[in-house]
Amino acid sequence: MSGPLSAVLGAFADGAHSLADVSARTGLPSDVVQASVDHLVRLGRLEARELAMGCPSSGCGSCASASADGGPGCGASGPDAGRRGPVLVALTLRR
Amino acid sequence: MSGTQPMNQPTRPGRVLSITPALPTVRAACHGPVGEGAGAGAPIIALAGAPNVGKSTLFNALTGLRATTGNWPGTTVDVGRGVWRFQPDGKVCTCAECSGDCAANRVSEFTLIDLPGAYSLDPLSPDEELTRTLLVDAPVGERPDAVVVVADAAHLARSLYLVAQLRETTHRVVVALTMNDVAAKAGIDLDTYALSAELGCPVVAIDPRRRQGLDTLTRTVREALPTPLPPPRSLAVPAGSEGLDPLARDDERFTWVEAAAAAGATASGADRVSTSDRIDRVATHPVAGPLLFLAVMWVVFQITTTVAAPLQDALDGFFSGPVSDAVRGLLGMVGLGGGWVEGLLVDGLIAGVGMLLTFVPLMALMFVLLALLEDSGYMARAAVVTDRLMRTIGLPGKAFLPLVVGFGCNVPAIAATRILGNARQRILVALLVPFTSCTARLTVYVMLGTIFFGAAAGTAVFVMYLASILAVIGVGLLLRKTLWRTMGTEPLVLDLPPYQVPTARLTAAVAWGRLQGFLRTASGIIVVTVCAVWLLQSLPARPGHGFGEVPVQDSAYGVAAQTIAPVFEPAGFGQWQTASALVVGFVAKEAVISSWAQTYAVEEPEEGASDLGDFGTQVRAAFEESSGGHPLPAVWAFLWFLMAYTPCVATLAAQKREVGWRWTVFGVAIGLAVAWLGAVAIFQIGSLIW
Repeated sequence: MSGPLSAVLGAFADGAHSLADVSARTGLPSDVVQASVDHLVRLGRLEARELAMGCPSSGCGSCASASADGGPGCGASGPDAGRRGPVLVALTLRR
Repeated sequence: MSGTQPMNQPTRPGRVLSITPALPTVRAACHGPVGEGAGAGAPIIALAGAPNVGKSTLFNALTGLRATTGNWPGTTVDVGRGVWRFQPDGKVCTCAECSGDCAANRVSEFTLIDLPGAYSLDPLSPDEELTRTLLVDAPVGERPDAVVVVADAAHLARSLYLVAQLRETTHRVVVALTMNDVAAKAGIDLDTYALSAELGCPVVAIDPRRRQGLDTLTRTVREALPTPLPPPRSLAVPAGSEGLDPLARDDERFTWVEAAAAAGATASGADRVSTSDRIDRVATHPVAGPLLFLAVMWVVFQITTTVAAPLQDALDGFFSGPVSDAVRGLLGMVGLGGGWVEGLLVDGLIAGVGMLLTFVPLMALMFVLLALLEDSGYMARAAVVTDRLMRTIGLPGKAFLPLVVGFGCNVPAIAATRILGNARQRILVALLVPFTSCTARLTVYVMLGTIFFGAAAGTAVFVMYLASILAVIGVGLLLRKTLWRTMGTEPLVLDLPPYQVPTARLTAAVAWGRLQGFLRTASGIIVVTVCAVWLLQSLPARPGHGFGEVPVQDSAYGVAAQTIAPVFEPAGFGQWQTASALVVGFVAKEAVISSWAQTYAVEEPEEGASDLGDFGTQVRAAFEESSGGHPLPAVWAFLWFLMAYTPCVATLAAQKREVGWRWTVFGVAIGLAVAWLGAVAIFQIGSLIW
């Protein structure tokens, strides 16, 4: 059956760029899209990676962006864990 | 406001349980370390829900001071336990109101357990594991008498998944909607009756902070308790798919959740066009978005160079004047004046480090402006624009991340290529990162921009950043069309936060952290290179001079630079002093200005040029001479070369670590080729015009 989760995954696979884009492509309310993305992340079907803009104090101090989760950038924590920033969601499709 | 499903079934009698199950249950821990509940036989009510939906606030509101919190037996998970007392009309008791005389007020009570926060009953954490154990794995007779699911009305779909799972069990479920004020502000108009009908369980809107709706919740729970256990909702999934494909199972639940949320939210304010959405229509527009981004960056560079210029001049005068004079005076007093010590300290360290320090106001201002853009949420939009650009030219969407990092520093950007799953993508992006213009290069842009373009220095810097983006696109396309014609794509989505007013504290902290980092990195590099350059400038390469007394053009440094300089003649900057700065820049761009200043500082001053304050005059004269009267095309050619060739040896080390030495050498060759060919083209074409 094709429910919201499949529809969201399908929109990602079709090249949606943002959650608003996913919402527009699937016709699902943004609340349902957000809940679906959260759930897909929990299922391991999507990988969510935080883009913590700003260099951490423990980093080299020169980079424009570092990750709070050890990924991109120099890998150290961002300047403020509570700050709001864009969330990069990388799709990992199960083969 | 409440909507309840009538459940007209006989009252269930109280139970006395005597077994001690192997699994923890809500009844087994009735008198355990978690704390005392209500009296024996009192119904046990569990509060469930995701974290941060107001569950603990509700627990405190219902139990008042009659609650304790502690580790659940055998676990390290905190669970609250308390007594929920209420009067016959459902009014929740606070002992302060009735002096604790429960009998006189005919007070009834429940034992209330505040379960750990859980998004779903498929556990991913010890908290969720315990919640599942107590609600699902425990035998039916050991489960709580009812479960109150606390749901966030502003994010209904997110909260209802747990309800969907609980409705597949035989729990008596009551949904308590919190955050109704937030939902109302967002334009979400909830219909608890319709929601109740869809969910098949009572729904009550509450505000635990203002103690609103608690009595209705109490009555609703009390009315639900006598009803028989409800039949579990059956999943509408194809036979056999349960257990085989979790996605199909969860998809069915979300379909149910979506239908319930659609019925319960009579006006979906969540999808109203917000101010952020309206701004984003421009900020992320395929055409207007990039133009806005460029305009914003131009303003940043313009403000930076204009406002910082007077401070920079003042600092320049301070280091080349009073500081240098004071050190010369002190050295003269101790008999070291005029010798190599003065050369090293005044012409080397003070000239080099002082030159770096003149950029502190500029860098600080730029970091503050960038931090403001980031904290406001605009940089996230810039990331969308960049991401779209990457995809347009056939690069993987995720490539934008290391490239954005590269505009700060290339070294972490190379490391950031690890986020790309495909090895070919990693190599390609690692080769493109050096073309992103790091902050170390910015100092040279600003210096030459100020010398040659005056008030338009900001525009010159902006053009260099544009050139950097064009280099990334151009070289990326070139490599994609030649070496990497096939390359996998990885879908990527950016979730944009709403715009917000930047906070001064965070902006200051981010800017200060970056400035510190820049100074820490740059000062270390500069001190080392200044000493190395001084040593090479003190070593005679032609006969007739002693150590420290050789004119710089006859030193090892000068002779080496003169050997290399002819290579740059077609590009209009074949003077050996200029070439020497580029050689030092191969080590680190932070050291370009200091070594350049050092070279002129130890040279015989030209007529009218006596100190660092005339550095600009000497650089201008050098370009005038080397370009045959076309200094502007030569400067643009020089800036292009500086932007495009190897950023620093640290970047090379990072590249070698990530993609191996063969690709690193290839990258150096590509960089030098692009830099030289571009510089020659710019000068040759430009000199026909200017």
